[in-house]
Amino acid sequence: MKHVVVDPITRIEGHLRVEVQVDEATGKVTDAISSGTAWRGLELVMKDRDPRDAWAYIQRICGVCTTAHALGSVRAVEDALGIAIPKNANYIRNIMAATLTVQDHIVHFYHLHALDWVSPVEALAADAIATANLQNTLLGAYKLPFRAPNTSTTEAYEHDFPAATPQYFEQIKGKVKAIVESGQLGIFSANWWDHPDYKLLPPEVHLLAVAHYLEMLDKQRELVTPHVIFGGKNPHPHYVVGGMPCSISLDDGNAPVNTARLEIVDRAINMGRSLVNNYYLPDLLAIGAAYVKAGRVDGGGMAKTCVLGYGSYPIEGYTGTSDGGFFKNLLIRCNGVVEDFGKGLAAAKFTEVTAEDVTTENITESVDHAWYEYPAGKKDLHPWEGVTAPKFTGPKEGTETNWKALNESGKYSWLKTPKWKGKLCEVGPLARYIIIYTKAKKGLLPEPSWAEQMMLDQLDAVSKVLGLAPEVWLPTMVGRTAARALDAQLNAEINKFFFDKLIANIKSGDTKVANSDKWDINTWPKECKGVGIYEAPRGALSHYIHIKDGKTFNYQCIVPTTWNACPRDDNAGNGAYEMAMKDTQVKVPDKPLEIVKVVRSFDPCMACATHMFNAKGEKINVITTDPYSGTRVDK
Amino acid sequence: MDKRESMWDVYLRKGMSRRSFVKSCVALTSLMGLSTDQVSKVVEAAEKKPLPVVVWIHGHECTGCDESFIRSGAPLASDLVLSQIALEYDHLLAAASGEPFEAHLEETINKYKGQYILCVEGAVCTKDNGVYCMSGGKPFIETLQHAAHNAAAVIAYGTCAASGGIQAAKPNPTGSSGISHFTGKTPVVNVPGCPPIPEVMTGVVMHVALFGTVPPLDNEGRPKQFYGNRIHDTCYRRPFFDAGMFAERFDDAGAKAGWCLYKLGCRGPETYNSCGNLRWFQGMSYPIQSGAPCIGCSNAHFWDEDPMTTRMPEYGPLGNVDKIGAALAVGTAAGVAVHGAMSVIQKQKREAEEHEKE
Ligand code: SF4
Ligand code: SF4
Repeated sequence: MKHVVVDPITRIEGHLRVEVQVDEATGKVTDAISSGTAWRGLELVMKDRDPRDAWAYIQRICGVCTTAHALGSVRAVEDALGIAIPKNANYIRNIMAATLTVQDHIVHFYHLHALDWVSPVEALAADAIATANLQNTLLGAYKLPFRAPNTSTTEAYEHDFPAATPQYFEQIKGKVKAIVESGQLGIFSANWWDHPDYKLLPPEVHLLAVAHYLEMLDKQRELVTPHVIFGGKNPHPHYVVGGMPCSISLDDGNAPVNTARLEIVDRAINMGRSLVNNYYLPDLLAIGAAYVKAGRVDGGGMAKTCVLGYGSYPIEGYTGTSDGGFFKNLLIRCNGVVEDFGKGLAAAKFTEVTAEDVTTENITESVDHAWYEYPAGKKDLHPWEGVTAPKFTGPKEGTETNWKALNESGKYSWLKTPKWKGKLCEVGPLARYIIIYTKAKKGLLPEPSWAEQMMLDQLDAVSKVLGLAPEVWLPTMVGRTAARALDAQLNAEINKFFFDKLIANIKSGDTKVANSDKWDINTWPKECKGVGIYEAPRGALSHYIHIKDGKTFNYQCIVPTTWNACPRDDNAGNGAYEMAMKDTQVKVPDKPLEIVKVVRSFDPCMACATHMFNAKGEKINVITTDPYSGTRVDK
Repeated sequence: MDKRESMWDVYLRKGMSRRSFVKSCVALTSLMGLSTDQVSKVVEAAEKKPLPVVVWIHGHECTGCDESFIRSGAPLASDLVLSQIALEYDHLLAAASGEPFEAHLEETINKYKGQYILCVEGAVCTKDNGVYCMSGGKPFIETLQHAAHNAAAVIAYGTCAASGGIQAAKPNPTGSSGISHFTGKTPVVNVPGCPPIPEVMTGVVMHVALFGTVPPLDNEGRPKQFYGNRIHDTCYRRPFFDAGMFAERFDDAGAKAGWCLYKLGCRGPETYNSCGNLRWFQGMSYPIQSGAPCIGCSNAHFWDEDPMTTRMPEYGPLGNVDKIGAALAVGTAAGVAVHGAMSVIQKQKREAEEHEKE
């Protein structure tokens, strides 16, 4: 038995460590732990602040899914105060969300995940002519021609086809060769390039993917221009409670949003569609098909037993979330839990998730294995009653500040363990696809929206390419990565759908983008609570605010990464990362490439997952920062 | 294998023309805020200086700065990472992880002692021996001290690294702070912003890389070329401020017409950054242009200057701004004077409040 530690896991957001026990003879992982190794305390920082500013603070949870928490936050505050936002604001927020999803998935696949599958070293053996041919074949075979119905056509022809000439690939090969030969590998240094997994793909696929890695590094920035137009910048665009700050006017030359600026948004949306269809999906399917053919259908873990979603994209505005309004006009009704999908459709069980789930004890968090302490006798607490008193207990081996091995039977992570009705769940694009598919096959989705129908069609198409039923290929590591690509395509279409709605509405004469009726704190109730939910690129996200006397009394978030990366629970078992690692074979224990690959298939984003709030309102330790004379810290 | 290439060597090796090399140098010169007579100096440096080795480490942060960095349009991040610097260690983009990755950091530090540029994103966690920010089984503070003491220069990217950022906001649960107290004698360039503008980030690292020295800094350690102006002095809504024309509410007629956002809480008058001159995405927009008041994200501890939508506390809820605006409209000289006074009043008011609280 070999004890393998990977720390830090790179190409993610934040700090993550995993430890696995590998049976060297069989390559079987017998135990695995996942540990969030940082804790920033943002929820405590939220206390006593102006709820209208909450989005700006809490958005800094994460600089990768940079608009997700801002959106969760304004929704929570609006729910608490009973604010309905104007139509345009709903469309614009949906465009910002879809933009984020497309760009985030592309960056994840190419820059944060691709180097687990493809290698610049292997690319050197590729033949440039064969690669150009392969590129053409892939474009023909693996393009999934799905489009949102009746959306406008605003480009004469599709831009940005991947170059498919031998010259192009020869040039990329030269670039890579120069880097490898210079001996200064830079970001490509020190990886396990000799791992047998890198031999699974032909050299031409490696060259093609490395070329696109470089292309996308340049192009990803152009995808987020809608955030720059509507929110002023990216990362961390600006929001406002009650709508959006970007007033619209077709009359005023200085207006934040006018025809010229909408055109920039449209261009980015078109580009998103083009990049997903011409680069991302063909590349993903080429790699995925090779893995599936090689029998690599492992790494599914909890996807087989329990997945959860909250539902996404209110088509029009809604009245509130805690009163159930949010769930009434969703474009994608993946608000639900599917259990036992891995046992086949017949055995799979669907349960709807409603407002009741997000506002009551159906969702709780425990700290059995997290470095926190609950009051005596407390085990599971709803976020409203949540207590976050840190209790660092050190590692099992090593010292407090020099860890050798963490204590799997004790506390070992800065993440709490969230549960739905006492069960651990996986969230994310894979969960959304499993839920919609199961619902449809069980006849629980009588009139699918166009987006839901597109999800079903996408699954059909991929199943044909792979020659396997969704129940087989979906709950795997490859399936998790593929679902993200399908989600990118879906969101690129959703982006266009809401852009067209925005244009039509402005055309009808409605330019309202913010509702300031409740802006004045004097109009607020003395005390109120709200929930804001959102399907982030990484899965179900919920923000909770408790407002008292016009100030934030309590702020809590249950974020996608907490669901997936959480430590085990004494009753419910392992978290999703841990389950997935246990469901993965390791060939060379000293070079656990399969482990980092399966963990990265979740698109880890750790900073958002570390909770810290003492809901009883006790401040844990106050260190004063003086705005004008630098930071003073008590060491 | 050990010969370190210069930017020009890389261009030669790639078969790129002298012309495109000189063009890049011209672009870099203006990006770094230098005048055109400095181009020859930049060319010389780019010809001779080996590609700078860069080590990029992460403390308490959100990765927004990394994300901002890869949005750089001129130079493109891909060019910068692959042709203009040797990025040897970076959590976001590195292929490797775990032990080999940590070993590579050690190797890099030893091999390039006193020569590499250390980029730091994120704050230092100081409380309880730093156990709230661990990486590689060690507290971040240890890695920072070790890497900083052996570096040629340190760049503190983002408000977190420069002054603690969001996690250092009250009550600062983890004892987070800016990094400069922990970097020893190595010179530090503060590049605040939440996050900083991409081209500011690439511009600063290229300056250090090409000239082998830190750029001219102001008294807060920020490069003057990027933080020398207030947003307010470069704001395209400034004429409306001077004319006393203000948006009163989000989305009112003034907001649509692009009037000044001062009454909605704009912190432009006390914020030093390049949003007004460079803007984001190469001139596309910045928060104020998109209708959102500046939140002052490049100011140390701006997080504790809440609430964001209230200004000028002693004038009541934004009361007399009209008068100030009207006064300003009378003459520029008076405008500057009143203006300066306003910033001072705001600052004093806050300081007084701080003392009360302590
Ligand atoms: S300065 Fe802002 S963007 Fe940069 S790491 Fe800190 S919170 Fe994130
Ligand atoms: S107060 Fe703000 S919006 Fe008004 S001119 Fe100054 S920086 Fe621009």
